[in-house]
Formats: sequence, structure tokens, C-alpha cells
Amino acid sequence: MRALRRLAGAVPPSAPVALAIFLLFALVVPRFATAGNLENVLRIASILAIASCGQAIVLVLGGVEFSFGASAALSSVLAVSALPDVGPVGALAIGVATVAVIGTVNGWLVSRFDLPPFLVTLGALMIASGLAASLAGGLPIDAPPSAAFAWLARGRVAGIPVPIVAAVLVLFGTHVLLRHTRIGRIWCLVGANPVAARLSGLPTRSAVVAGYGTAGLLVGLAAAILTSRVASGQPGLAPNLAFETIAACAIGGIPLAGGQGRAANVLFGVAVIAMLNNAVVLLNLPVAYQQIAIAVVILAAVLLQRDGWPGGLWTRFGRKGARS
Amino acid sequence: MSPRLLVAPLAILVAAAAFGAAVPGFAAGGNLLNMASQMWVLALLAAGQTFALATRGFDISVGAVAALAGVAAAWAANTLGAVGLALGPVVGFACGMLNGLLIGTLGITPVIATLATLIGVRGIALLVTDDGQAVPLELDAASWVFSGGTALPPADWVALAAVVGAHLVLTRTMVGRRILMLGSNPDAVPLVGLDEARTLRHAYALCGCFAGLAGTLMMLRAGTGLPIEGSGMELQAIAAAVIGGTPLTGGMASVPGSAAGALLVQVLLTGLNTSGISPFVAQSAIGVVIIAAGLVAHGMHGFHLSPRRPRRRQP
Amino acid sequence: MKRAYFDCRASWPSYARRDQATEPPLTRQSDPAGRGAQARPGVLVLDGIAKRYGTTVALRRVNLRLDAGRVHALLGENGAGKSTLVRIVVGAAAPDEGEMRLGGAALRLGSARDGIAAGIVPVYQHLSLFPHLTVRENLSAFAYGRTGPLALRPPLVAAETARRWLDAVGLDRDLATPVERLSVGERQLVEIARAIGQDCRVLLLDEPTAALSDRERDRLFLAVRRLCERGTAILFISHKLDEIDTVADDLTVLRDGESVIEGVGRETVGRADLVRAMLGTAVNTGAHALGTPGPLMLCARSLRVAPSDPPTNIAVRRGEVLGLAGLVGSGALRIAEALSGLRPVASGSVEIDGAALLPGDRRHAVRLGIGLIPADRSTDGLFAVRSASDNVSASALSLLSRAGLLRGRAERNMVAPWLQRLGLNPPEPERRAASFSGGNQQKLLVARNLLVPGLRALVALEPTRGVDIAARRLIHEALAEAASAGVAIVLASTDLDEVEALSHRILVVDAGRVVADLPRGAGHPALLAAMGGGGARAA
Repeated sequence: MRALRRLAGAVPPSAPVALAIFLLFALVVPRFATAGNLENVLRIASILAIASCGQAIVLVLGGVEFSFGASAALSSVLAVSALPDVGPVGALAIGVATVAVIGTVNGWLVSRFDLPPFLVTLGALMIASGLAASLAGGLPIDAPPSAAFAWLARGRVAGIPVPIVAAVLVLFGTHVLLRHTRIGRIWCLVGANPVAARLSGLPTRSAVVAGYGTAGLLVGLAAAILTSRVASGQPGLAPNLAFETIAACAIGGIPLAGGQGRAANVLFGVAVIAMLNNAVVLLNLPVAYQQIAIAVVILAAVLLQRDGWPGGLWTRFGRKGARS
Repeated sequence: MSPRLLVAPLAILVAAAAFGAAVPGFAAGGNLLNMASQMWVLALLAAGQTFALATRGFDISVGAVAALAGVAAAWAANTLGAVGLALGPVVGFACGMLNGLLIGTLGITPVIATLATLIGVRGIALLVTDDGQAVPLELDAASWVFSGGTALPPADWVALAAVVGAHLVLTRTMVGRRILMLGSNPDAVPLVGLDEARTLRHAYALCGCFAGLAGTLMMLRAGTGLPIEGSGMELQAIAAAVIGGTPLTGGMASVPGSAAGALLVQVLLTGLNTSGISPFVAQSAIGVVIIAAGLVAHGMHGFHLSPRRPRRRQP
Repeated sequence: MKRAYFDCRASWPSYARRDQATEPPLTRQSDPAGRGAQARPGVLVLDGIAKRYGTTVALRRVNLRLDAGRVHALLGENGAGKSTLVRIVVGAAAPDEGEMRLGGAALRLGSARDGIAAGIVPVYQHLSLFPHLTVRENLSAFAYGRTGPLALRPPLVAAETARRWLDAVGLDRDLATPVERLSVGERQLVEIARAIGQDCRVLLLDEPTAALSDRERDRLFLAVRRLCERGTAILFISHKLDEIDTVADDLTVLRDGESVIEGVGRETVGRADLVRAMLGTAVNTGAHALGTPGPLMLCARSLRVAPSDPPTNIAVRRGEVLGLAGLVGSGALRIAEALSGLRPVASGSVEIDGAALLPGDRRHAVRLGIGLIPADRSTDGLFAVRSASDNVSASALSLLSRAGLLRGRAERNMVAPWLQRLGLNPPEPERRAASFSGGNQQKLLVARNLLVPGLRALVALEPTRGVDIAARRLIHEALAEAASAGVAIVLASTDLDEVEALSHRILVVDAGRVVADLPRGAGHPALLAAMGGGGARAA
């Protein structure tokens, strides 16, 4: 019984919504519920899921990251430029490390100087995208063909595409980090009240640096998979990645005020976005509908999942007093 | 006058002097005028953004709103003539009002609300233009706006008047005063009988209106309404306003500062471009200036050793 | 207890000064309005007010009558329904049942705005001024809400008018001063001045003295009295019984959503009866049994917190409770914060059990086993959106994790007994901290600090501020028990009853220096004499 109740507490309100959308599309949209299509959906969603886990950690810390798209682009350019010299593994390591370093520096600036995360990550966005574009001369750099490099996006492990495996591992890892590790608990406490966390003797500064750094690491992985997929260094790799990850977290039910958030929120938020995108493609609708639908879903999700009037229906009737 | 307002003008002077010395022709009258007419779009977006920042929020939908407004203005001018250009600011106003409703009346945080508007407005812009077709402007007088008239082309006069107007609205009207009060102490606003939701609606509607005007100017210069234009400008506009001395913490705001911030961004872009350095480096330089502006503000407040500093909940 | 409390009033030195001056006396010596109170209709009358939130009943049946020119105190424990009643009075909430009458006419308020328009003006604990605007602009703020959106010039009140309002509260500051340059007390006076300008018929003061120094508080009460002279009815809410005895004319006590004492004159109820009415039972407010202190545990050597402070030596022994008493701004809080490692120091050192503490480093302090209960619960202590359990275990995470992984069962086993011991209500450790009452939130902070790994010393700043009496007793017991177990406790509190009831000895601090070292049982008069040098009283 206790285990059951804990399970119910772990399921975010976005889960039944995601399920309902899935059932609806399975009935209404032709070719939606086929194995090939679902694999395709998952493969595309996996990159957003990995990056959104990074955003979720930053949101839990009470911050917000706008530099993901730009640092992913810089990582892509650097990785591909280094590919001929250091080989595929080295190149991917450089790509991942680039974003992790940018994230760490952002975290350091935020925690050391108490600057607003929005300001710092906005500055980082400009710096990284400027660097990426000037290094690449404004044009994509083609990567020399490399099977090992392409494996990250196109390979399979036990028949499952590598990005999907990576996304599952990252989601599970984020779940464990946020729920069952000391550092994850400290992130939650710092996000809930930074002053109280400091007075309780918690290492707040290093936790913030570690949080932004971990987020960067995850986004670096997403960028590496993307780079491997497009097989080139793109200064415009994923310009809206930051917005997309914030949207996914918001739909999944992570409040921007900080202190709360789980991997499950990310999972269902990403699922909703991926299914909407896919349905629009399958139905041959203009891409405009997809964007309008996502805008409406974001607003509906935020209104329904917050506490108090007029939203918070779920919190009020579904799980009284439980923590999200 | 707050010292943070001096950061942008000083930086402009330094940058202009450096470029003027290093790049022949940088300080020529034509180049300066050219720079001025290029900065207006950003200056208008930043001036609008100032209202949102003054309420402790911000608006990341302004780039998308400007694009939609440009398309709307082009379409209306084609059907109605020059009068139709007024549809641009009107569309901007409506989008801003939507943001204001979401943030003020429904209480959604500005990041999420304006992000949803950004995505939705982009969708609408694509929808009304058949998946992103440009709308060419068929107005004969259009080129006159950027070349004709006196020493300054009419577009410059309009933009200048709009920035001065924004400054007057912020400092001289009750709307501006209420917006500043809201940013100064949001908890107190309902207690003295001010309508918080209405003030937020006003702030974001003003922000959207200026975005619409910026989009119209952008469309006039390009000669076509481009539905996918303006991406990334929202963040540049916030950057310009912050560099200009409007803090993210609300209560203080300066439209001339935001315009100065936009000018600095333009000086960097033009200067680096004409000096033969990649224009993309300019973007990195702007990023450095943003973080430096934050550090300067931090240095002015000193190091917060006392734990009793009130906590800012947003962004 | 009763004796001590009368001593306290008698030793209030400002009485004499005030009577010599031409200003109205702080307390009414006679009771002219009281005689006719039954006959007069009252300015604001609430009759049979009830309010439910979902299934919880916040107010059952409350009657309240505010008379012109009188201060009406509203008392009650946390959760008794005071804040709901306040919300109804100001118009922020509508009652489910019952009626309100203002000046005899039925009153229906849709929002706080309506309340202000009707002349019911609240002055809250958290201030409602605009720090970036000037005094004069703040005084005009109400008018700002009424003008249309296109109005150009902000409707500033005339300078002479503004001056007159400020004079009425006894504040002499330039009208063009930005409010952020005023002290907390001065800001509160500006707020009351603004209420005067609103021709307010009912002024509501919600715990107005919480952040005030002693002098500022006297000034506030004087302004309140002046307002009464003008015929304003005042609703005064405070946890401090001393203040209520000083300033109130009438009393209403709420318990469990009902008015158990309704609008009686303050002289007619003794303090014991008052406490009994609030609690429902008589409480033991007597001193706690304390053990004998052991060897030296926590000490400060030549400590100077601010560069201007004289060097101070403080020694706390194992199992000893050391009270630190002092006026607001005396430095007592400063010294206590330095002892806990919260505040950096100018010179000198703090040692615990022979180990030197890195000043200003709470992390190091917690590693050395020094707990800290901060004075401001919500900004410095509580993780509002996290569960009660997370709040309690925050300082003990190192004990609960192995190789970076948290052990959930160990956490539950550690937290549960303490929550039971402190009587957390409702007893649900997974509930969000924000959903508990203030007293229960404070219990979470106490539990967190008693669970600091290897706890050797505990610095408690105002551990029961704004806490109801039952929770206060449980917290005091827990602190006394920790001391018996060998923890050195530093108790810095402006609540003298608390300091006296718990401490082995009391250091009195003035101007950053320890001016007296009093043994247990020295009594209020000695304490007060040492504190102010005759000048003031603990705030």
C-alpha cells in the first residue's frame, strides 16, 4: 500500500495527459501507432529529452539556462574541426566538454557573484554563438566520413537506436540524481531557499557550479548526438534548444520558482511535444499548427499544474498535500 | 543619476574612439548616419523591453511579434495604402496585450508566458503567409521612408519620436509611474489600491506595441514582410536594455539607457565589421559586455554578506 | 509571573518623559469611551462572521466591534483565525456568513481596494511602500490607483498637506527623500501618515512592532494615540502581551475560529485569564529545570564583530544555556551570529571544544557541530516548497548518505522521532513545509538543528518569535533537553520571559559590549536596569 502511494506520488500530472494524447493520436492519426513511427518519434525525442534533463537540473536550482543552443552549436563546430586530428572519440569528448565547461562557468558566475541566471546565460549565449559562427566562418563544416562518429546517432545497441538508449540512461540517471543522491537533494534545497541552504551548512556554491556543470554535460551529450546525426559542424545547430527544453520542462510540470522537479516531469513533457510534432507531420499539416498547438499546450499545462486558482485542479483534487 | 546608467554611454565613447582611430572612414558622417538608421529596430525593441523589465519581468516574444507585425503591415499597406502600415503597431499591441493577460490576469511567469507567445506567434506568422512566404511590399513611397526628406530620413524621425515617446510615457504618465511602482514593490501594489493585473497588461502591451513598430520599420527597410525574421532579436533587445542600465530586479528603468545600449550594440557590430574582423565576433563582444554590466552592478551593490537580503523569486 | 510583568511595566522609563510633554499620553489614564461603549453603534461591526476554506473551518462565529478613537487588540494563537479575520476586515476575502457594518451601513467588500475606498486602511508587517519613490510620492500612492491610464502628471498631494500628515505622526523628514533611505520605523510612520491622508476610519496594524527598535516603537504608539484623538478606530494585532497592555483599550481573543472574549475593556481581564482564553487551558510558563553545566565548550576570545566593537570574551560550558539579552541594535544578535559562524568578524576568534571556527563559514561551523536557528524563519530558515522531512534532514545529509546516495529509510528513521517529540501537527512528514502553521514550521527548524551531526553547540536566535504558546512550550522543552544532554546553547532573544525561563546565566549586551553577567533568577528589574542604563526597554 505504501509503495503504491509512493508510486502515485511519483507520477506527475502530465502523465495522464501524455497518455490521453497518445491514445487519441493512436485512434485518430493514421500510421501513428506503428512500431516504425514510434521508434522514429522516440529517436527524435531522445535528444530533446537528454537536453531537457539538463534544463530540469538548472530549474530545480532556481535558475534558468538560455545558452544551451549556442553552446551546443559551438560544441558541434569544435568537435568537427578537431575530428581529423583527434579521431571520433576525442572529437566527441571535446564536444561534450565544451558545453560542460560553459555550464560550469555559468554556474560559477551565478553563484560567486550572485548574478541573475538569465543575465549570465544570455551573455554566454551571445559569446558562444559568436564564437561558433566566427570559427566556422558562418557556414557549416563538413565532417570527414567516420563510421565510429556516425554510430552515436545511427548505431544500435541490442537492436535499439543509440540515442534512445542514451536518453533512457540519462532520464534514469537524472531521476536517481534528483531523488536519491545527496547532491540532488542539495540542489532541491538550494533552489527552494538559497539562504536557508547556506545557513544549514550546505555547500551551496559548489552545488550550483556542479548543477550547471552537470546540465552542461547532458546538453553536451545531446549536442554530440545531434552533430553525429547531421555529420557536420553547424554554427546554427539547434538555435531554439534552450526554449524547447524550457517548454518541455514547463509542460512536464516543473515550476520555474525552483526547488522541485523530477525526471518523470521531463519524460512526459518531452513525450507531449514529440507526439504533437509527429502528428502534425503525419497529418501533413503545415508546421504552423504544430507551433500553435505547442504554445497552447504550454499555457494549459502551466495553468493546470500550478497551485491555487484558477489552475491547480490536479493538486487540489488529485493529490492533496502531496509534494510534487 | 544612477552610475549604472553611465556604463553604456562610456562604453560607446570608448568603442567609437577605438574604432574611429583604427578604422578609416568609421567616423565619417555617412557611416554614423548609416549606423543610426540601422540601430532603430533594436532601439525600439529595447525601449519596449524596458517596460517589461521595469515590472521585474521580460518579454522574449518581441522578435516573433515584430516579424508578424511586419507581415501584417505589408499586407495591409498593399490593400489599404500607406495607412495600412499602422496595422503593425496594432498587431504588436494585441500580442503584448495577450502577454499581459497571461502574466497579469492568469499569473503565469513571464518566461513561460512569453515563450508560449513566441512559439504561437511564429506559428500564426507561418499560417498567414502560406508556410513562410515573404510578403513583398507594393507601396511606392516605401523607399522614400529611408532615403527622402531632410538630413535624416523619415524613418529615423519616426523612430526617434517613438523612443522619446517611450521615455515620456515611462517618466511622465501614470501608466509609467504605476509600472515602476509595481517593479519597486509588487506586494504593495494591491495594498494601495493599484490594479496589478492591469498594470502588467499595460506594460506588456506597450512592449508589444513598440515591437510592432520595430517590425514595421524592419519590413519597410527590407521591402518585404518576412515571417521568419527577428529570431534572436528578443535576447539582443533585453541585452541592450540591461547594458543600458535597466536592472532585471525592477523599480528602475531608463529608456534613453536602453537606446544607448542598442547604439553600443550597433557600434560594436559596425565597427568590427568595417575593421575587417568577423561580424560574429561582435556578438561575442556583446555577450562579454552583458556579463560585465552584471558584474559592475554587482560591484556597486557590494558583496552580500548579510543573510537578510530579500530573495528575488524570478526570473 | 504576574509580578514580573508588572515590574516590567513599572520600569518603563518613557512614561515620565511622555507625561511631561504636551503630547497625549501613550496609554489612556481614564476610560471615557468605555462608559458609553454599549450605547454607541461602533465604527466597524462584524456580526457572526464565518469562513470556510474547502473542508477546513477558519472562522465559526466571530463578533468584533471597533469604536471610534479606541485601540482594539485582536489576540489568538497561530491558526486561531486571526489572519482570516484580518483578510475579511480589509476586504481581501469575503465572509461565507455574517454581516459587516461600517458606520451603521451594511458593508460588502470585493477587494482590498474597496476596503481602502471605504476607509479601512491596513498597515502590514511587511511594508507596502515603494522604496524607489520619494516620501511625497509614497504619500500620494493611493491617488495613483484612481487616475486613468492616460493621465499625465501623477497627482501629487500638496506639499503642505503631506507635511501635515507627517507632523501628525511625528516624522520630520524631507518630502523628497527616497523611502529606501528611511529606517524601518520611519517607513512605518510614513505608512501611517499615508493612512491619515486617506481619512481612514479604521486603521489596521498587523504586528507592526516586529522589526522596530524600542524608540521607534514608542514613536509608533504615540502616532497611534494621536490617530485615536482624531476619532479613528484601530485594530491592533500583536503577539506581545506587554504591548497590548500598553496600547489597547479593548480586547478580542480568538480561539479555534471563535471569539472567546469579545470586545471587553483591557483592564477587566488579567494576564492569566487572557492566556487561558487563548489556549483553552492554563499553561505552565514557569522556569525550566536545568542541569549543572560541565566543562568549557564554546568560547569567543577578544571577539570584535564590527570594527568599532570592543573586544569581548564569552564562554559557554557544556550543558549550559547562555542568554544574550540586549536592545535592538545593541549587538546581542550580532555576537550570537558570529558565535554560530554566520557572520564574519573584525578580529578575535571563536573556538568550540578547542577547535577554531572559520568566521563567516556556516559550512565549517556545521561540520564542527554548531547548530543555528535563524531569527527570520521564512527568509533564512524554511525550504517552503520541500517536505517537512526534507527540511528536518537538511543539515544531517552527510550522515544519511553513503557514496553520495541518500538512504531513504535511514532518513525516515532519523526524522520521525523528532517530529513526534516536537508534536508536529499534522504529523505528516511528507507534507510541504509551507502548508504548516508558523509554530509547526519553527518546530521543523528546531528539529533540523538538533539533528546537526555531532551537535555540540546550538545558537538560537528568537527561537519562538511569532509562535503560539503551545509550540513555544514544546520548543523550550526541546532546547532544555538538548542542554541536559550536554549541548552548549546560546539563546539570543528579545523576549525576556523566554531568556529568563531558559538560561543559566544572562549576558546583557549594549553597544556591542557585554555590560552585565547576571545569574539565573536575577529578575526582570536587574535585567532591565542593565540593558538600557535606564534609557529604554527590550523591543
